[in-house]
Amino acid sequence: MTDRSESDRLQQENWLQRTVRRPEIGAFIVMMIIIVALAMASGGKAFNALGLKNNIAIIAQLGIIATGAALLMIAGEFDLSIGPMIAFAGMSIAIMMKWGLPFGLGEATPFLAFLITLIMTLAFGWLIGTIVVKSGLSSFIVTLAFWFFLRGLTEVCFRLINQNTNVSGLPDFKKESWFAEQMGGEVFGWFYDAWYWIGTKIAAGVEFTGDMTKSEKIDLINYLSFLNINRKMEQWVTGFDARLFWFIVIAGAAWYVLARTQLGSWIYATGDNKESARANGVPVNRVKVGLFMFSAFCATIFATCQVFDTNSSDAAKGMFKELEAIAIAVVGGILMTGGFGTIVGVVFGAVTFGLVANAVFFIPWIDGAWFRVFVGTVLLAAVFANERIRKRITGGI
Amino acid sequence: MAEKSYMRVENVVKKFGPFTALDGVDLDVTPGEIHALLGDNGAGKSTLIKILSGVHQPTSGTIYVDEKKVFFRNPRDAAAAGIGTVYQDLAINQLMSVTRNFFMGRELTSTFGVLRMDDMDKIAHEEMKKIGIDFSDPSQAVGTMSGGQRQTLAIARAIYFGAKVLILDEPTSALGQKQQMEVLKTIKRVRARGDIAIIFITHNEIHSKLIADRYTFLALGKVIGAGTKKELAGEDIRRLMAGGAEISDLEQELSVI
Repeated sequence: MTDRSESDRLQQENWLQRTVRRPEIGAFIVMMIIIVALAMASGGKAFNALGLKNNIAIIAQLGIIATGAALLMIAGEFDLSIGPMIAFAGMSIAIMMKWGLPFGLGEATPFLAFLITLIMTLAFGWLIGTIVVKSGLSSFIVTLAFWFFLRGLTEVCFRLINQNTNVSGLPDFKKESWFAEQMGGEVFGWFYDAWYWIGTKIAAGVEFTGDMTKSEKIDLINYLSFLNINRKMEQWVTGFDARLFWFIVIAGAAWYVLARTQLGSWIYATGDNKESARANGVPVNRVKVGLFMFSAFCATIFATCQVFDTNSSDAAKGMFKELEAIAIAVVGGILMTGGFGTIVGVVFGAVTFGLVANAVFFIPWIDGAWFRVFVGTVLLAAVFANERIRKRITGGI
Repeated sequence: MAEKSYMRVENVVKKFGPFTALDGVDLDVTPGEIHALLGDNGAGKSTLIKILSGVHQPTSGTIYVDEKKVFFRNPRDAAAAGIGTVYQDLAINQLMSVTRNFFMGRELTSTFGVLRMDDMDKIAHEEMKKIGIDFSDPSQAVGTMSGGQRQTLAIARAIYFGAKVLILDEPTSALGQKQQMEVLKTIKRVRARGDIAIIFITHNEIHSKLIADRYTFLALGKVIGAGTKKELAGEDIRRLMAGGAEISDLEQELSVI
């Protein structure tokens, strides 16, 4: 009896049990189901050379802002201003590219436009964070105020400077600017080059002949699409969207910071119990303000990629993106109350949401609005699952 | 006692406006000794420990640490002088691991703020083992620990970060019977180290009798009795606990109702 201690009551688990109990497991299972279901329903088209590129593009896009939202939520705060921040940043860059730098400082380069915009968005992030920590008000209400403020400001600026609520038909800056190419162009070309190279080996000898029926031709095109070969027997897709690069950089950095650094410990501590974190010397307010700025940074990267990809911007950009980012974070296992969650889960959530958002393009018979029905259902399920995890850890179950 | 005291409080007075919370209190703590601070609610225990841990500043009176006169402007000053306070809420985060809680705000890092997780795990494990809990898994969330274990974590943390005087604010309240005993054992183990003075604040007469070496009784902001275990008879403790009122008086008063 005497050699039994309290800690013996905690059952030691093996590798499999630990894996099953990981907070990301729910997000992982949902993601796998979606991948398999989408692959089957689209006849594999969702994952052929172009399908993969398009899916990854939207996954990366959502993942970038979800990472910012997730870190902030782990620290116990919300940011509803992500969407308007995207619109504001897009407006700022597009207007500078069209009308030049402010105060008549001459022509804008893509990098300069980005830099000036980033300074402004970071300042907004700082302002939001400072208001939240100094006033002690709920970040929900403060960022809701900034939702309206930034949406309005964006539209006003568009109309004042451009006499229109959008800027379109900008020249393609990707050709001359390395920066624009890095934001809106393509990356990891080697992946698709290799895919094509392997494809040519597999499809050696295959060719279109005059005596093929139409359906035979379609079948062949379909077959070649999985080998990254187009109907002229050339390389079909040349690279991923540059967003993928930024998603990897941002999510990778966020993962590293959370899991391995002092700052990560501070973020968890801040969201878990602010008062005890403060009592132990964690600079709670600085952590929060910094994360509001990081969220604004993610929104700015999102907007910059969009502007240099499409060479346009309009006042409605980023609509609902704050809600999607929060939903992804929750589905990824981030607790609404803060203090818990991982970036790995957020990546799973982003993959799930990206695939479902894009599903309408690969499954023609599906109504795109089902996306939102799906989001609502999964979100609710995720909240219940997360709450269960929280109770299990804090001894409720 | 041959040992010389580490911290000495002389004639401390604390007034909040017209209200006198402490009216000339003396206290003396010696390394390797458990000094029980007892008193009813409102006796001034909390005010006294808040002064000792730098939260409040005394209106008059002096605190000596290591025979040197000190003045704590804030909790950081007190911590730097080796005063470690473990409050009732423990300043612990439930969702975080044992190690992360142990080092919260004072993480060990290498360049660029990268955590030295292995070192931290090892230290947390060893420090807690020293005073009674052997943890197999330092990555376990604190929420899964019992109240007594959390108390041990908070005590081990205070000691590791240089506490020479350990102030424990009602460490046994809000715990089950068995866990109370665990905490008392932990406190005894800290005493056995010999280099740490412990101020043990409690309501519980039995607990103080079990482990304390020296007592100070507070009532209405004044010391109404103090001395070593030998100097105070058992019955005396109970009388002083009740703020000086005789227990027989109380019995009489109760019987009238």
